[in-house]
Amino acid sequence: MQFVHTIAAAAATNSTWAPQTLAQRAADSAPHSLWLTAGYFLLAVVGVAALLSFLGMALIYIERKIAAHFQCRLGPTRVGPFGLFQTLADTLKLVFKEDFVPPKADRSLHMLAPFLALLVPVVLLALIPYSPNVQVADLNIGILFITAIGGFGVMGILIAGWSSNNKWSMIGAMRAGAQIISYELSATLALLVVVLFSGTMSLTGIVLSQQDGWWIWRGHAAGFVAFLIYVVASTAELNRTPFDIPEGESELTAGFHTEYSGLRFAFFFLAEFINMFTVSALTATLFLGGWMPFHVGDWAGFNAAMDTIPPGIWFLTKTSMVIFVIMWFRWTFPRLRVDQLMHLEWKVLLPLGFANLFVAAVVVLTELYPYPLAK
Amino acid sequence: MIHAIKVAQEERLFAGKSVSVAVITRGRPPGYLRVAFSAVAGLLRGLWLTLGYFWSPEAIVTRQYPENRATLQLTERFRGNLRFKFPNEKAQEDHAAFIEQLAHETQTHAHVAADLVREENETRWYHNCTGCGKCQEACPNASIKVFTRQGEILEDREVDRFVWRLDSCMFCNACVQACPWDAIEMTGGFENAVYDRRLLVYNLNRLAGPRINYIEEEENPEVRKRMVERRDRYGGQVPLNGFALPNLPPVPMPADSDSRAVDTDAQARLT
Repeated sequence: MQFVHTIAAAAATNSTWAPQTLAQRAADSAPHSLWLTAGYFLLAVVGVAALLSFLGMALIYIERKIAAHFQCRLGPTRVGPFGLFQTLADTLKLVFKEDFVPPKADRSLHMLAPFLALLVPVVLLALIPYSPNVQVADLNIGILFITAIGGFGVMGILIAGWSSNNKWSMIGAMRAGAQIISYELSATLALLVVVLFSGTMSLTGIVLSQQDGWWIWRGHAAGFVAFLIYVVASTAELNRTPFDIPEGESELTAGFHTEYSGLRFAFFFLAEFINMFTVSALTATLFLGGWMPFHVGDWAGFNAAMDTIPPGIWFLTKTSMVIFVIMWFRWTFPRLRVDQLMHLEWKVLLPLGFANLFVAAVVVLTELYPYPLAK
Repeated sequence: MIHAIKVAQEERLFAGKSVSVAVITRGRPPGYLRVAFSAVAGLLRGLWLTLGYFWSPEAIVTRQYPENRATLQLTERFRGNLRFKFPNEKAQEDHAAFIEQLAHETQTHAHVAADLVREENETRWYHNCTGCGKCQEACPNASIKVFTRQGEILEDREVDRFVWRLDSCMFCNACVQACPWDAIEMTGGFENAVYDRRLLVYNLNRLAGPRINYIEEEENPEVRKRMVERRDRYGGQVPLNGFALPNLPPVPMPADSDSRAVDTDAQARLT
């Protein structure tokens, strides 16, 4: 397709961005020094683990603060300056709590489920391009991989609900299964629009394709509608309010994690927050240009000024904005009923997603862009 | 989504009589797009509202309790501990000024100076209570017990000890509403933590005696003095009366109890 070649050419001609992943570096260094390869491997593992724990702490603190201010409260203020150590204290508390397994539960599955739930966000963390040089691995089938792995996340929840031998857990898990599998469709359709636009499934490739404008507005309305669909569908996949019926405190106590306590409960909790980060990061990467600075057409001075801000900061800013919006949703909207949830997906979002995909395909085939790529 | 509803007044014939009736007509239910639009508009309105809360610091209602103790303002309708109203305000103010001066002269804290005062001006404890027992009847938890006595001077019923059980009180305010004499109020404090629950049962009145207006009708200060008798916080015919239980060690008295026993301690602290 002509369009794809244009993008590839644009990416190739720009010498500023030469993204290099840790996996690439490791592969390059393998012929010279195996120790260096092992070092890169270790760096990737340690980096993802550190990011995981830091994000867990930071996001929970931020969520509590933001929630408080949305509700005219102050949030944690006592533990440490501005309550910064509150999450640390809570984590310590969770570590020392009893790890309770119900007597009639399926013990091995009950122990396994939290790890399965946490596995998905950890794998996704390794794929996200944080900055041109900060990315563990860039798969050429990135989007496909993310969709496949994202669908795997529901396994942890289903196993948790099944193995707890508790009706609340079971209902919560079944609801989660129905919800996540349903909304996966819309999310994937929205992702396909971006794949169609950029002509690549690699995340770095998608970021590079947004050099002359982010897909949220470069793709006419189709990009924007895809963005909206993706935000709504991924919020539903995250099991967050207004789509938190799998937990549904008022009806199911805590849903699928009713029978979990201590560190295993913390894993579910952590998985939810890391999932929120990965979804926000993916939204930023796919629709908001990832680490790409904000450029406006021919304004060379403005573009140069924007280029002085490091790409990592751009990525962080965009991701935090999406995270804020998701938290904003949570503390504003009431919870949907189960039938409303299914109605929204199957009768609203899915047809809209298909129509949007069609429009996007027409846009791509006719190359009807508001402004063309820089040659 | 509310359907458009029109209400009209019409005259209609019922059994040969013209009757004015309200005719309600329902409009066409709104279409799909209209519902969707109004739903999205509602969601955006909600987002805008919460963003306003998020953005404006003056929207925060949280109070930093232990830090703001000195300036803590409770609302008018806050229900704290039950307490007697002491309507002789002048005597109260005089006493506070006296304690302050004493503290200044002896270079001590006010609460230490207050402990030192042996001859208190009893007139500041005059109360509105007649001992009618309406509050006791009104109390759903039986948390109030009013002991009355036959007064020596007026030869009429008057309050002896007004016992309130904080441990079983549910702060329903029924006693305050039942009181015909405006003698009690639920505006006392709320910092009630003690190490022994027996301390949660105590007398509210500081004087056994008639209502304040009967005392003030009497001209002779000597007779006035004989009309009332000192009562302290813990003591008297109280169920679980504060500290005297068989088989249990006596309760250490808190400093703000009016027991005379603390006086020596206070002096020891001074020297």
